[in-house]
Amino acid sequence: MDSFFARYRNLRVLLTLRAVQFIGLATQVRRTSAGESTLDTSDGKSVRLIRVWTASVITPFERILQGGTSGISGLWTNYIGLRREHDQNIELQKTIDRMRLEEAAMLEDARQGQRLQEQLGFQKQYIYHTQIAAVIGGSGTDHSRVIYINKGSADGLAHDMAVIVPNGIVGKIREVFSHSSQVLVINDQTSGAGVILETTRIRGILRGNANGQTQIIGVLADNRIQPGEKVLTAGGDQIFPRGLPVGVVKKVVPDPDRDGFIDVYVDPYAPLNRIDEVQVITSMQPVLPSDQQNDIATSEALKGPEAAAIRQHAIEEQKKAAALLAERLPGLTDPNAPPSDVPKPADTDIRVPPPARALHPDRFSSEGAETRNENESAAPAQTKPAANSPTRQKTEKPAQKPGSGETGKPGSDTTDKPKNDTTGTPKGGN
Amino acid sequence: MNVLPYDPRHELVIRRYPLQVYTLVPLAALVLQAWLPLMHYTAYFAYVDLPLVVTIYFALGRRSPVQGMLFGSVIGIMQDALTHQAIGLNGITKTVVGYLAASVGVRIDESSLLVRVMLSVILSLLSSAMYIFIVVQLLGLEKQWVWWTEILRGVGNAALALMLYPLLDRLQVRD
Repeated sequence: MDSFFARYRNLRVLLTLRAVQFIGLATQVRRTSAGESTLDTSDGKSVRLIRVWTASVITPFERILQGGTSGISGLWTNYIGLRREHDQNIELQKTIDRMRLEEAAMLEDARQGQRLQEQLGFQKQYIYHTQIAAVIGGSGTDHSRVIYINKGSADGLAHDMAVIVPNGIVGKIREVFSHSSQVLVINDQTSGAGVILETTRIRGILRGNANGQTQIIGVLADNRIQPGEKVLTAGGDQIFPRGLPVGVVKKVVPDPDRDGFIDVYVDPYAPLNRIDEVQVITSMQPVLPSDQQNDIATSEALKGPEAAAIRQHAIEEQKKAAALLAERLPGLTDPNAPPSDVPKPADTDIRVPPPARALHPDRFSSEGAETRNENESAAPAQTKPAANSPTRQKTEKPAQKPGSGETGKPGSDTTDKPKNDTTGTPKGGN
Repeated sequence: MNVLPYDPRHELVIRRYPLQVYTLVPLAALVLQAWLPLMHYTAYFAYVDLPLVVTIYFALGRRSPVQGMLFGSVIGIMQDALTHQAIGLNGITKTVVGYLAASVGVRIDESSLLVRVMLSVILSLLSSAMYIFIVVQLLGLEKQWVWWTEILRGVGNAALALMLYPLLDRLQVRD
């Protein structure tokens, strides 16, 4: 028996080691109620000690390597190159980066306002504070697309914070150590970011595939999705603020696993394979930061009359749209309403259909039915409401006497505005 | 491939290294593996596995399955700790690779460059197969993989071994 154990000592050690490691693996993976396996995420804010130890051993060397290469490249750019221009360029680049973020947020806000989605109760989250961090390392394998940055909990970073570059989003913080953090990049297979296509407004989930490409999954086949369309963050994942640039649609292919679905391949704006510096969004608020509010106020002041004219034009357009809507929806128009409540264009021709003649008059028929029908046969139907209805009188008067000063009479506002609108001369449009 | 007959003197050919080599080389492998893929000109380094190559080298040279297993286990677990995946995936695969490399090294003349390259390719493919099997079949995790990527990884590891092993040979203790 002893010789048996001595002979297979190596095999026993192997089996023991494997058994211990398999048990360790099994404790990390959970089976969900849906029957899917997932890594243990019961406490997302905690970090396994083995990761902390390894990060504390590896990241100092990565910092040295990164610092060395940055130092060499910095020596070249700062001292051999034109240092002053370089500094100015850095400042300008920061300004451009900030303005890009502002522009993205503003543009998306404007579109959102056009669609009246404020009524849905969305609360816009603006980027308040960001922390700039340098990328010092990665996982080293294509099976796990994560990067390490040189800022951690000591710098105010926390789990699930969004990581971006001025061009677009990069990922989210997955593990936080004291002086470094692990960032899960959006082209990893386990990542997920809520995105929306800019023009078609189709939503989906962005994730990576085995080749490190980013794709939107779970999208129903739609011919409107074309290469070149911009992809933005949707804001529903509670990580990335809404409206941040993600990339452009590269190609659309049918989903090989599900009929009727497509995979939308996205070319990300952020250079995910060669990132030197990132910005971590450490704070978001429902109002714009004070410096951005000042920028907007300055911009408004500089625009001055032009901005007022644009605003007035927009109001006129809204009124015109309301008038046309009222015209095309007769159910919403009450002919017996007071004149001020009936917005109608001047050239609107109201035709009141005559009541149907009863085939067999009885006591329920009105007494004047026959008399009214006889009058209708004598005169055109449209002249009757014109003679009796005040609405008809008022709609015809301005048309007959343009600029006669009668627009100042009560009830004339309602009739004048649609007339102006139909002539295509909005007030203050120029 | 030269298959050696059993010879008790064969145990005398075990390669020995200073203690610093056993600590610094794996550490350097882990650091470089994590750092080089970020560089613009070495981005494809993510498709090779430097810790695996180092594991094969030391297991072949030491010719001790237990030492090979322990070496592979430690370096694999540290590699896992740098990823966001379950800890133990690389640990298990590199444990087996260390065991097999050391077991083969006892019977094969591992000083031949051709043997080293072929072993690197075979063990790399075996490592990839085990990794995917554990992730997809055993743990049931969702994972896409491309077979030609794994073949390219095996070829890349062999090319890396071709360059690295002569350098590491210089670090061994000469009698």
